[in-house]
Amino acid sequence: MIGTLSRATPVIVQGITGRMGRTHAALMRRYGTNIVGGTSTRTDMTQVDGLPVFASCADAVAATGAVASVAMAPPGETLAAVQEAIAAGIKLIVTVAEGVPMHDAMRIGRLVRQAGATWIGASTPGLAVPGECKLGFLPDVCLAPGAIAIMTKSGTLSYEVGYRLVQNGLGQSLWVGVGGDPVKGLRFADLLPVFFDDPRTKGIILVGEVGGNEEEECAEAYKRLGARKPLLALIAGREAKEGVSMGHAGALVLGDAGTLDSKTRQLTAVGAEVFTSLDTLIDASVRYFGSAP
Amino acid sequence: MLLIEADGKALLRQRGVPVPDAVEVHGPVATLPGEGPWLVKAQVPVGGRGKAGGIIRCASVVDVNTAIQTLIGRRLKGHVVESCLIEEAASGAERYLSIMVDAASYGLRVMYAADGGVEIENAGGVHGILCPPDASAVAQALDKLLLDETIACRADVVQVGQRLASLLLERELALAEINPLFVGESGCVAADAKVVVDLNAIDRQPEIATMIAQRRTVYVDANRKLAEGFDYVELDDEGEIGLVTTGAGLSMMLIDELTQRGAKPLNFCDIRTGQMRGSPARLIRELEWITARPSLKAVLVNIFAGITDLSEFAALLAAAIKASPALQVPVVARLVGRNAADARRILHEAQPGMLVTEDLNEALVKLDQIVGARA
Repeated sequence: MIGTLSRATPVIVQGITGRMGRTHAALMRRYGTNIVGGTSTRTDMTQVDGLPVFASCADAVAATGAVASVAMAPPGETLAAVQEAIAAGIKLIVTVAEGVPMHDAMRIGRLVRQAGATWIGASTPGLAVPGECKLGFLPDVCLAPGAIAIMTKSGTLSYEVGYRLVQNGLGQSLWVGVGGDPVKGLRFADLLPVFFDDPRTKGIILVGEVGGNEEEECAEAYKRLGARKPLLALIAGREAKEGVSMGHAGALVLGDAGTLDSKTRQLTAVGAEVFTSLDTLIDASVRYFGSAP
Repeated sequence: MLLIEADGKALLRQRGVPVPDAVEVHGPVATLPGEGPWLVKAQVPVGGRGKAGGIIRCASVVDVNTAIQTLIGRRLKGHVVESCLIEEAASGAERYLSIMVDAASYGLRVMYAADGGVEIENAGGVHGILCPPDASAVAQALDKLLLDETIACRADVVQVGQRLASLLLERELALAEINPLFVGESGCVAADAKVVVDLNAIDRQPEIATMIAQRRTVYVDANRKLAEGFDYVELDDEGEIGLVTTGAGLSMMLIDELTQRGAKPLNFCDIRTGQMRGSPARLIRELEWITARPSLKAVLVNIFAGITDLSEFAALLAAAIKASPALQVPVVARLVGRNAADARRILHEAQPGMLVTEDLNEALVKLDQIVGARA
């Protein structure tokens, strides 16, 4: 349902009375997201900033018709939050927490897949349809409606990319932070069909990192699906230390697995362009997607 | 995070997976397990030790002690060797056995190959079966993988696989690999162990937590993360540019770009400004580590703040600079976010002449000038 998200999509925030939940519910609303309420374990609050607070996702969904949720739960409680949301019929859930145990993420993944729902995260700033809505906390300064779909493992590196695109008069059609964890919801390869089918999207920027094989998987899918739109990639971590996670749990290089060379080779082989610096990526984006002078 | 072989084998041994008799030493040794020959193996948390010269085969006690002397204190693939594992060299036919979390299927990948050895992992031709994350599914997968296996100890191998699976599931591991697994008439033995743990599950895995805590210096990055709550990884103890940055991906990218420019970054860092809660303590800690390296020539601060008020951050950084007399090099700050002008004023008071800019390229060029790298 990523491709059909809009400012009409009703969204709840799980954990809306917490510090993070309250702040970001307000920021999302300000951006245009149709936040219709939230959940909390607090029994003394029935409203926060004019939004109804429910005891459970089931109550929230029944009262508001919400189909999407942003779970502001700590890492150890993310599994429970997703279980609750899926049981209530939520179709799209974004989990922002960093540090969700990998075996919990496997349980979440199986559960969401079985329910036919969509999971974004964990360890992500979320997603946005610039000009319409955002689910999570992508900074507004990086967002502008446009023709480039961004998919990214990293929050900050994608902020930098988005910010510079905006400075260069470019914008984004869709922006999905798949997150920095190894076991996660939507992966790069899952997003290609969405971006290929999205009429707003003229091209794709992939912001990757060393570790895992998501970029390689995406290269394979890109070829299989017919390379229908240009794919530009920026991958961080050439100088990463082997055997140690570089901040993101997924950014772990072991031997030849997960290295930048492997990712670059496979993406390049299917016709994607891989860049080694922000400047060269932005220059190419302007070349590809900038309006003719 | 990858465990050293000695710790990986300790986990295997507890689960009843046969491992060679071994002794871990930090210096010369008088008595050895078994009759020999022996392998002296550097204990560093990194793969490819054999190729890098970290595993030495020895025929006598004298040779063993020479090997120990060669390895201890030596730097191997970025890690100082603190200890060696000495074990009797196993013999028999080599096999490869591993179980790992398969991210795309939310399950496990069980792999078995009739040829063990160092090349197998990169060969790409290893048989693998995906299965759900439970021990009985792993057992079925192993049965299939071992269909053509004719060795006498086939049942032992299946049992090792099942024990490996329960270890992985109960200890929430990302990977448990035995390469090589020696198979012979009398059974099988795990000659190496590659175990990758999930630091995010450490709160509910006390056994792993203890293992990591007991080796403060071997698992220096993990211990630092667990103690401090943020990421700091030293990349080069002769590095010239210390990084105080937020965001893992952007920090990695900056390291790559600095390296491409000919500069030598000292560290990776994700300081997480959102967790500082008004205290400069985290910044002071980091400046302490960075300034401990005499090669330091500059500090790059890079904050792209979606939410964080830059003037609040600048006040914390200014306080940290004041509290860090060891900081004798220029700081270059690249800040994007709210209240950038206030932040600039605060930082100029803390270190007159500091470049504070919104432009990352300007910051990088300034660093080039300071460290004398080619631009």
